[in-house]
Amino acid sequence: MGNKRKEREVQSDDDAPAKSRTKKMDKADGGKPQLLPSMIKNKDKRSALYAKLKHEKKAEKKKNAKARAALESRALELGEELPPKKVPRTIENTREADETVCRPDDEELFAGNDVDEFSKVLNHERVPKVLMTTCRFNSTRGPALIKDLLTVIPNSEYYKRGTYDLKKIVEYANNKEFTSVIVVHTSRREPDALLVIGLPNGPTAHFKLSNLVLHKDLKNHGNPTGHKPELVLNNFTTRLGHRVGRLIQSLFPQDPEFRGRRVVTFHNQRDFIFFRHHRYTVENKADKHDKTKDKNKDAGVWPKTLKGDIYAQLQECGPRFTLKLRSLQYGTFDTKGGEYEWTHKAEMDTSRRRFFL
Amino acid sequence: MPRTTTLESPGCPPLRAITFDVLGLIKVSEARSKQGGVTKVVERWGEPDASRCVLAASINDRKVDPLLAVARKNGAVELLSPINGDLRVSLATTNQTDVQSQEDNIVGLHLFKKQQSESSPRSCTLLTCTTKGLTTVRSVTIPRSLGDSTCDDTPTTWNVCAAGNVLCCKVDENENYALFGGKGVEVNIWDLATHTKIWTAKSPPKNSLGIFTPTWFTSATFMSKDDHRKFAAGTNSHEVRLYDMSAQRRPVMSFDFRETPIKAITEDVDGNTIYIGNGSGDLASVDIRTGKLLGCFLGKCSGSIRSITRHPDLPVIASCGLDSYLRIWDIKSRQLLSAVFLKQHLTKVVFDSNFEDDEVAGTVATMPPSEQDIDDEPVDRDEESPPVVKKKKKRSKSRSLDENEEEAVSSKHKKTKKSRNLDREDEESRSAKKKKAKKSQNVDEDEEELISVEQEKSKKSKVKSKDGKSKKSKKSKGESIDV
Repeated sequence: MGNKRKEREVQSDDDAPAKSRTKKMDKADGGKPQLLPSMIKNKDKRSALYAKLKHEKKAEKKKNAKARAALESRALELGEELPPKKVPRTIENTREADETVCRPDDEELFAGNDVDEFSKVLNHERVPKVLMTTCRFNSTRGPALIKDLLTVIPNSEYYKRGTYDLKKIVEYANNKEFTSVIVVHTSRREPDALLVIGLPNGPTAHFKLSNLVLHKDLKNHGNPTGHKPELVLNNFTTRLGHRVGRLIQSLFPQDPEFRGRRVVTFHNQRDFIFFRHHRYTVENKADKHDKTKDKNKDAGVWPKTLKGDIYAQLQECGPRFTLKLRSLQYGTFDTKGGEYEWTHKAEMDTSRRRFFL
Repeated sequence: MPRTTTLESPGCPPLRAITFDVLGLIKVSEARSKQGGVTKVVERWGEPDASRCVLAASINDRKVDPLLAVARKNGAVELLSPINGDLRVSLATTNQTDVQSQEDNIVGLHLFKKQQSESSPRSCTLLTCTTKGLTTVRSVTIPRSLGDSTCDDTPTTWNVCAAGNVLCCKVDENENYALFGGKGVEVNIWDLATHTKIWTAKSPPKNSLGIFTPTWFTSATFMSKDDHRKFAAGTNSHEVRLYDMSAQRRPVMSFDFRETPIKAITEDVDGNTIYIGNGSGDLASVDIRTGKLLGCFLGKCSGSIRSITRHPDLPVIASCGLDSYLRIWDIKSRQLLSAVFLKQHLTKVVFDSNFEDDEVAGTVATMPPSEQDIDDEPVDRDEESPPVVKKKKKRSKSRSLDENEEEAVSSKHKKTKKSRNLDREDEESRSAKKKKAKKSQNVDEDEEELISVEQEKSKKSKVKSKDGKSKKSKKSKGESIDV
């Protein structure tokens, strides 16, 4: 009974909406589709409508692209200015506005830089000297990474960790006039964290380390010379990033030897810091014909045009890894009584367009 | 458009906060209802200089002639006007400059609110405490202008601890007792009138594993206004303790808060709630009677909190620290009302409670008379017609005087209102207030007299010689500063 009655009701009710639905369909045919596929219960009809809508969308897109191409070609023919190219939206250029981004006209920033913990090293008053050590139990890839880092960072020394507390090591390094301490932390025989401590009272940065490829595992790797490398720091924009950048900068000598044609890159993208180590050559086109062919065969070096008849060639050497900042601590390493300048907290991860470096 | 989460801050009530940073800059942030409660930096005092890093600050925000005391890293203590940042007095290091090593920085500074000596209304009393425990109470007379020498009384100095480093120093609301604590220094309480130690805390016993946590107090605060016997202290081992002097020497209650050291503790006016901030930027309010966490202030704050301040009237607290943000929070909802990026590591924040939104126009109008005078002077010099000048000056002076009187009257009104509103205030404080009001009147009268004297002088000088303009201008400058 109930069912029948319901059916009857539905039928009687259906008359009016059915008409409206057909009307809607008409509209959809004519111009704007108002009926969404999700409103239809019949699967055949729903999928048919969906396919139709999709087809229309595709056709429109194609039409737009064609129109744009036509405009462009016409502009080329007439010698006019090309229509402006559309810039694709990426996560980087839709990044959340950040007021902490450093500005070149900020005098407080420079005043702060002059007196911060790294100013002595960066103003050539002290020569950077780095102590490297590991966590208490390390094996396989940990020591290998240390070996690679020793070649990357000049004036660095490896000390066996032994059973010393890190605080004791920091004290020792202070007495020996080191300017930084680097600790490579391994877990399950794989390096997974990097601790960079500025001395004597500089900040402590804790990085997560991932995607490690060692020197010997790189295909067609080059062998670096002993020259002091050039340093490239990319995209350290905010105040926090600036500080981390300066911390990294203070690990390396401030007078690179350009003869060595050796460059170390820390590239920040979406809060991930990519570490790369390269050798490069700059050559003329005239020399290219006889030289590059041989080199391509031997070392797998790809020439790349820069300007006119000058070529720059890049060859990767040394380790390759990615860092992500976990915390920046004020003062030297102190887990119990430490004050943090910045720590990552879960409540910060509410947007994937917010970056801190 | 991509989904972006902006800081949705409901806007804060009109207030004025003063922050101090490691470069020795003092920044004033104001929120006004006209701008929808957005806090903005309106003023910056001082030049960036790391040796002038502000270590401690204290404000006396009375209605008439408020004062701001600032202790710098180079040992200087400065008294400023919190209205326009003018330097009133700069005190060099205490007489033991040679003895003091570089590490003996000032950690605690308190500007007494009550007047100690009745005779000199322009004097104020300062308590400073250094890391080594050297505590000094001195009264300073604020000179009429910067050039005058300050006539200090002989400062009374005593040592609050034999060893260890003092890290926190606090004076209770009635300003009779002071509290000191630090690394290796148990909290001890001193009577400021007699300079004697009246109470020392006892460290808690070893825990069940037989492990003794070394004494390391990082912050402390008295709990209620009229009771100096209860106070809360935060330790480096992320423990918050409540002490009651009348009960026992060991903490009455203690609880842990997170994993990093407690860096700031501030009490609420109700005497039960405390606000605690720690080294990794967590801010929470706790009911100290039970030790129960009332709630955390969440707002993507990630730098160590160095200072928390409760606004005396509004239900608002401000926090600042190593993340260089000044954050203003609502107490009830624990929502972030606004955040201002101030570029440097901040060390201290204080509220200027006299700031009122409606009065802004008035204060701005009344403030500049001195500037106006200064502006007027060159014009006067150009004109070379003394009688006109006289008229002008008289006018301006009378105007400023009137305004002064108006201010005083309005302030009195407010005071009466306040006293009506606050039922808790006992009679003593009322009488004190009356005294204050009287004093302020006295001050006004004094000033009037002075001004009249000076006017006469200037008249005389004008009569005497027309070419003595430079002198005249100097004098007038002095006047302007006075006014």
